[in-house]
Amino acid sequence: MNNFLCTYPELNRDIPTSWHRQHDSPITESRVPIDLWQRVKAFSSVDTVDGPDLLMASVSTRRASSSTVAPNPRLPPPCTHLAAYHSSGGSRSLRLLQRCLRVSPLGRAEVRRHPGEVPRCASCSSVGGPRLYACLTCAAVHCPAHAPSHADAGHEIAVDVDRAELFCCACHDQVYDRDFDTAVVLAQASAAPGSARTEPTAAEEGDRKRRRVDYRLFDTDPKERQIFLRGSSPIFVHEQNVLSPTGSRLPWGVRGLNNLGNTCFLNSVLQALLHTPLLRSHFLNDRHNRFVCQQRSRRKKGGNPGEKKHATSCLACDMDAMYSAVFSGNPRPYSPAKFLYSWWQHASHLASYEQQDAHDFFITMLDRIHEDEHEWCKSLIEGGGDCCIVHKVFSGTLRSDVTCTICGYTSTTYDPCMDISLDLDYGKNSKKSAASNSHACNIDTNFFLSQNNGMSTLLGCLERFTGPEKLGSDQKLFCEHCQVKQESLKQMSITKLPLVACFHIKRFEHSTLKNMSKKIDRYVQFPFYLDMSPYLSSSILRSRCGNRLFCSADGESDVDLELASEFEIFAVITHSGNLESGHYTTFLRQNNHWYKCDDSCVTHVSENTVRASQAYMLFYGQRFLHYKASRHAIAF
Amino acid sequence: MSASENGSSSPRSQLPFHVFGDLLDSIIVDVASECHRIARLGLDRNLEEEEEELRLSAQARVASTSSSIEANSKNVLDIFGQTHPAIASEILECMNCGRPVVAGRFAPHLERCMGKGRKARQKATRSTTMAQSTNSNGSSPVSVFTPYSDANSIKRVANDSSCSSNSSGVEEFKVTFEEA
Repeated sequence: MNNFLCTYPELNRDIPTSWHRQHDSPITESRVPIDLWQRVKAFSSVDTVDGPDLLMASVSTRRASSSTVAPNPRLPPPCTHLAAYHSSGGSRSLRLLQRCLRVSPLGRAEVRRHPGEVPRCASCSSVGGPRLYACLTCAAVHCPAHAPSHADAGHEIAVDVDRAELFCCACHDQVYDRDFDTAVVLAQASAAPGSARTEPTAAEEGDRKRRRVDYRLFDTDPKERQIFLRGSSPIFVHEQNVLSPTGSRLPWGVRGLNNLGNTCFLNSVLQALLHTPLLRSHFLNDRHNRFVCQQRSRRKKGGNPGEKKHATSCLACDMDAMYSAVFSGNPRPYSPAKFLYSWWQHASHLASYEQQDAHDFFITMLDRIHEDEHEWCKSLIEGGGDCCIVHKVFSGTLRSDVTCTICGYTSTTYDPCMDISLDLDYGKNSKKSAASNSHACNIDTNFFLSQNNGMSTLLGCLERFTGPEKLGSDQKLFCEHCQVKQESLKQMSITKLPLVACFHIKRFEHSTLKNMSKKIDRYVQFPFYLDMSPYLSSSILRSRCGNRLFCSADGESDVDLELASEFEIFAVITHSGNLESGHYTTFLRQNNHWYKCDDSCVTHVSENTVRASQAYMLFYGQRFLHYKASRHAIAF
Repeated sequence: MSASENGSSSPRSQLPFHVFGDLLDSIIVDVASECHRIARLGLDRNLEEEEEELRLSAQARVASTSSSIEANSKNVLDIFGQTHPAIASEILECMNCGRPVVAGRFAPHLERCMGKGRKARQKATRSTTMAQSTNSNGSSPVSVFTPYSDANSIKRVANDSSCSSNSSGVEEFKVTFEEA
């Protein structure tokens, strides 16, 4: 099987070069027959890969790819004592031990010869302090003070009776063993009552089984090239706009957006979407041709084509026009007036030009584009995240597990999501403590680093999001197994990662009680490179069973998911000011340069400015894209 | 924890300390054991990258506090060397009415033009309720205004017209008189 990964191309070159060139040659905007696109798609979705592999040039990874290894637990080599134990028939005692494993409802395993046994040290009868070790060979129990004296030949390996962890008394270290962990996992599985799980849809299942294929760069044949040249006209690119006044190369497709009257919330989201990698490609590659779309809807509504009537509002068409305008090379700021008009034609009666929340607008906008595009490709697969470009780009799946704390019964549900809204973590930073070996940093940096324990970070927010949440006693949920309402534990995790992950930091608190809202100005640290694997369902489930080796995790060990967990940032929306009078700006990243889009004014800023900014919405794109063979010849 | 130094303390009074100590030790060992497993099995592989990111952010914050606050967008040059006025000056053609509108005031214009928004809606509500109250027998349950006295309603309209900054307030006032 071709398990080949190709590097996602530089963020400013992600559309075929025969289509749009970089701005040192005239950019052409063309109208292409729609069936051509069907052929393009068929081209990249063949089931058999013949011919030479046309790779994207230089599959260079930005950082050392130690992190492309799937995060499955790796067993270290056993110490000599553990190896000796095994070779002398240790697995027999392990099987006996399995009968003594008692598992609590929430999965914690203990070793007790009979339930209710209170282990005591054979030498001093103490109940052991923090740990008691039971020798695997003779089942004698000792406290840490007396365990070493028992560790003669053949009796080195013991088990911590309260935690079901192996300990080598000769090496004075905790050791790990596959068979033992398997025994624990089996004990956990047999102890837990059956769990309810809504199955992922058949579409998703089939999705996962699809074979991966090599990426092939699209190129035209001479006949197609003729069509392009005949059907297109060059857009004049002002020569002085290739280089900025400071002499640096101008970014491609970055253009200011005029504020039409308190519309910065709109502008900030539009800027982020205009540079969202796959969404951008979709529109620049003419996947939603506004002329064809308008024609179609006119024909549907009847009436003469020549009749002048109000253009039907199709937000996707307005986006298409906006992409064309923004990527035309014209430096004058663009006014998204038509977009606003279309937006309000279908907006609720409460719509007004007053300041709105950028995140609310973002979600509503995705919904609207879904409706517009959805119409277009009705004949194709609906639902399952493939129905329109916004779903393909932004939709992921969240898993929610609710566990009864009394019996351990877990009920699981899956929900699609277009973004992830995160509550702020108040600085209880993870198990990973701040580095103490910051030798090259000066005093000030150390100051900020030591503040780490009080600082909010995106990873901290994600940990809080995927951490087990004890639902209060006033929020008891009905347990199927116990048949009563019990106190429960809720835990979220991500089953399917989107291609573009949008994180929303919940800075605006609305209190219905006090009928008042306030904004949280707290700084939230965010990385430029993000590994989402600790927040995947497979990782969360594994940690729930104690990170045992070969934990079944419901059998979902999807290698694809783990390989696709690396993200890099491309846009940040910030909010400054307070609720009543605030301002949104967007930082965009292109080719490792950062640009600040403040309505009509686009300036070049340093990386430090972005890192130190007050993030409200963060946009990350997957670093590597995998191409799967399509089930159908034509797939959008 | 100085109970051990006090010679006259009974073993019984030291019990709570022992119990607490044992509990605390047990919790610490729990965490240590879990972390040991995570580290040894290689599940904690991104620690270096994460710390690097934290360091870069810390550096960035130092740099941003020490540097001056960015100039206001009044006379800032963008990447193309252009400046921008506070209110966008491009002239646009309204899709609804066809009139030319300044870009920076396009949204409020469109709001009124399309009949959307709070102010535009209120205008519509007011004229319809006033019509209702005069046509009915006087006991219609108009929620917005009490049809008891015209003076009351006039006062309310006047209040609102002083808040709104556009000319529609004056028009509303006119409507009230006509209906009365």
